[in-house]
Formats: sequence, structure tokens, C-alpha cells
Amino acid sequence: MAAVHAWRAARVTPLGELHTPPRMTAALLRLTVQVVLVASLWNGLYAQTGTTAGLDRDQAVTYAVLAVLASRLRELDQYAGRDTVLQHMHFGTIVYWYLRPLAPQRYYALRALGEQLYGLAWALAGYAVCLAVGVVRPPESAAVAGVFALSMLLGQWVLYYVMLVIDQLCFWTLRNGAAMLILIFAQNLLSGVYAPLWFFPDWFITLSGFLPFQATLSVPLSLYVGRIPLSEAGAQLAVQAAWVVVLALFTRLLWRRAARRVISQGG
Amino acid sequence: MNAVRIAWRITRLNFRAQLEYRSEFLMMIAIGAVWQVSVIVFATVLLTRFTGMGGWDSSDVLLIPATRMLAHGLFVLFLGRVHGLGRHIQEGVIDTYLVRPMPVYRQLQLAYFPTNAIGDLTVAAGLMVGALSRSNLDWTAGRVTYLVVCVLGGMLLEAALFTVVACASLRFPAADYWGRWLEELLGTFGSYPLNVLPRAVGGFLTFGLPLAFVAYFPAAVLTGHGDDTGVPYWLAAASPLLGAAAFLASRLLWRWSLRHYTGVNG
Repeated sequence: MAAVHAWRAARVTPLGELHTPPRMTAALLRLTVQVVLVASLWNGLYAQTGTTAGLDRDQAVTYAVLAVLASRLRELDQYAGRDTVLQHMHFGTIVYWYLRPLAPQRYYALRALGEQLYGLAWALAGYAVCLAVGVVRPPESAAVAGVFALSMLLGQWVLYYVMLVIDQLCFWTLRNGAAMLILIFAQNLLSGVYAPLWFFPDWFITLSGFLPFQATLSVPLSLYVGRIPLSEAGAQLAVQAAWVVVLALFTRLLWRRAARRVISQGG
Repeated sequence: MNAVRIAWRITRLNFRAQLEYRSEFLMMIAIGAVWQVSVIVFATVLLTRFTGMGGWDSSDVLLIPATRMLAHGLFVLFLGRVHGLGRHIQEGVIDTYLVRPMPVYRQLQLAYFPTNAIGDLTVAAGLMVGALSRSNLDWTAGRVTYLVVCVLGGMLLEAALFTVVACASLRFPAADYWGRWLEELLGTFGSYPLNVLPRAVGGFLTFGLPLAFVAYFPAAVLTGHGDDTGVPYWLAAASPLLGAAAFLASRLLWRWSLRHYTGVNG
């Protein structure tokens, strides 16, 4: 029975997407154009340069294209479904999360899981096409592929908690619009979506090492393209797992504190 | 004159309303700044790692993000509320705009004060000062005037693009999604010479989505690269005019779209 409830909660956002063909078409077009543009840009930049920052042209193009595909994993428009924490705080409907037989933290996790699995289907389809037409190169060995898959899983887990912290912020600040924008910025910059972190100065790479963002994308992609050798993978995976544990404990604490702040019908 | 006075009073009220949530207000200024800094970081990283990008000096390349960011900051300040119209439609706010004695487009622009524009413009102005100080060009009155006109033209062109998306939102509120993509494309591909891209891709960003006219062509004309842009020199030089014409055309499209708008009550 619990599995049926979980399935129903997880499929809400993907179902919303499937019933909105313009959004599906837009997502497909956007992903295609973005991949073509990003691949063209890095090919163009490398036209007169050899290896730079330890990345050759194929590695840089593969990294950039995979970053675009990975960004699809959590890019659904929950706002259109009026089911963001921000909207529930604004309209006062957050209280219903606490009146249902399903705990709010469980509901939130199930919704996120459904979104990420739906996004994964897009990313995998895009990856298969890019691999077939030679835009990205395959992993060097089965071991690299396995370590990459594990690292990507941990990265998405970290990303889930980071997004959750920003949503939980609403319980204290009512609004999280600015915080969300700052998060998107930090996530894109420090995880290497704008440009692989290897191109940045050393101090920047050191600084980002203290934050959870590079664990979300830069680490798995660097493992995939071979910029981080397999011999160093263990340490990187341990750091990712540590972030999962730290953020899990932190968000659990925040859920408990947040519940005390929700007031129904004036008290 | 009365309309200007009303607009000014509403803007002052909106500004005070933004101050209601102090931490959000300060964070919005910060986000405007950091968003622009991300563009600078990206451009700087590329300039450092790939010198002589597209045959341009790095001081010349800097003029592209500076022009684009200043145009973008002005767009956010004066005309930016057109981005995100889908939300107004979904919440039914647009229906109340229709019965008030003020043009809907103006009401939309006066919906709230864009706090993030303060951060946007501060960083953009800083980058422009930096780009001009590093530039080896002779900044005559004519060149400065052309740069100012180009920034205004870039603002109008960006407003035109977002107005077209808003027109689509009047029919399909989900079209708002395109607006977010447009913003991302302008930020990512509007800040460096487009001749590093293959000709077909450059053509798409010139004639399909005309972001080349926002900053790349004006900077090319100013720095003497006007003949290497892949379009006739006169077309590159006429970028500000194209921005103004595109904005006028988008406003006509807006009026037509608004006449055909149907709210949830029919």
C-alpha cells in the first residue's frame, strides 16, 4: 500500500509534464539547441589550442555536453503546478502538508525522486543520441563507467539536499526567490556548468573544494572524462558520501524545527 | 506628464514595498551582482585560457560583455517585468490589469520594483569602466555617442525578444519557459565574439535569435572588426536601429495578442 502511495506522489510532476505538450516540445528543442551550441563553442575555442588545464578538446566537449544533459535531471517547473514550498508558504497551504497521512519530508522526497527519475530518462536519451553521433566519447573502461554512475548518483543526492535546504529556508524567511537564484548561480558556477572548474585559478578550485557544489557535477564528469584518474576516485566518492551524510542530518534537523513554525488557522 | 507622475509614484511605492522584506531586498541586490559576476568570470576564464579569441584582443572582447550587461541592466530596470508574464496570467492578475485605466504593458512594468537591477547595473557599470580603461581605442565624442546608442538599442532588442515571449504566454502560459531559456542564451552566448562558432551556428544567433545585434556587432564596429562579422558592415553598424525597430514591432504584436487574449472566464 505504501508503495502505491509512493508511486502516486512520485509521478505527480512527470505526469504534469506529459500533459503539457508545449513544455515537452520546448524541453526537447532547448536540449538539442543547447547541446549543439555548447559543442560548437568548445570545438571553436579549441580550434587553435591544444591541451589546456589538463583537458584536451574531446574531454572538454564531452564534459560540457554531459553538463548540459545533467542539468535536465532537476529542471522541472514545479512552479506551474503550484507545489513549491515558496508558493505553499505564500498561499498558506503549507499546513496541508502537515495534515496528510504522509509526512511532509517523505512527500517532498518522493516528489523529488519522481522528478529526478523523469529527468534521468531525458538525460539518458540525450546521452544515447550524443554518443551515437559522436558528440561525446564513451568512458574509457567499464570501471570508469561504474565509478561515474556511482559518483553521479551521490552527486544527485547532494543536489537534492542542497535544493531542500533552500526550500526549507522559506519556513523562516517566507520568501526564497533570491536565495534560490543565488543557489542556481552557485550551483552552475561551482559545479562547473559554465566552464569546467579545471579552467579556473587554483585558489578558486581550492575554495570550491570546501563547498558541496562540485560534488554534484564536477566530480562525476571529471571521472567520466578521465581528468580525475580512477586511483583518486575513492577519495572523491568518500567526500561526496560525507556531504550526503552531513546534509541529511542538517536537513533532518531543519524539518523538525520547521514543523514547530507551521501554524494552522491562527494557532 | 500626468502619466509620468503616476508611474513615478507607483515606482516609489513599489520600492518601499520591496523594503518590507529586508533580507530578501539585500539578497536581490546581491543576486543581481553575482549573476553578472558569473558572466565576467566565464568571460575571464575563456579569455585567459584561449587568448586571441576569434582574432580579437582581450581588451576588445571585454567590450562585448560590458555592452551586453549594461543593456541587460537597463532592460531589467525599465522593461524587465515583461519576463515572467506567465505567472501573472496563471494567477489571474492580468484580468484585473485589463479593467484599469492604464495600458496593460505599463501596469505590468509597474507591478513591482526590480531590486536586482541595482546589483546588475552596479557590476555592469564597473565592467564598462574597466573595459574602457583597458581599451586602446581613441574614445572620441562620436564613438562614445555610438556606444551609448548601442547600449540603448541592446536594451530595446532584449525587451523586444522578451515581449515576443510574453505575447506567446498570453496564448500559452507555459511559454514562459522559453523566457528562461532566452535569458540563459543571452547570458552564455552574448558575451564573446561569435566568429569562434561555426558559420551555421553564428547565423542562427544572428538571424534566428538576433543576439549578435545586442553587443557583438556594436563592439565589432567600434573596435574595427566590423568587416569580419559575416554580415554586411552597414547591417552590423545599424544594430541600435534594429533594436528600436524590433521593439516597436514587438509592441504591435503585443497589442494584437492582447486583443485576442481570453481569460479563464471567457
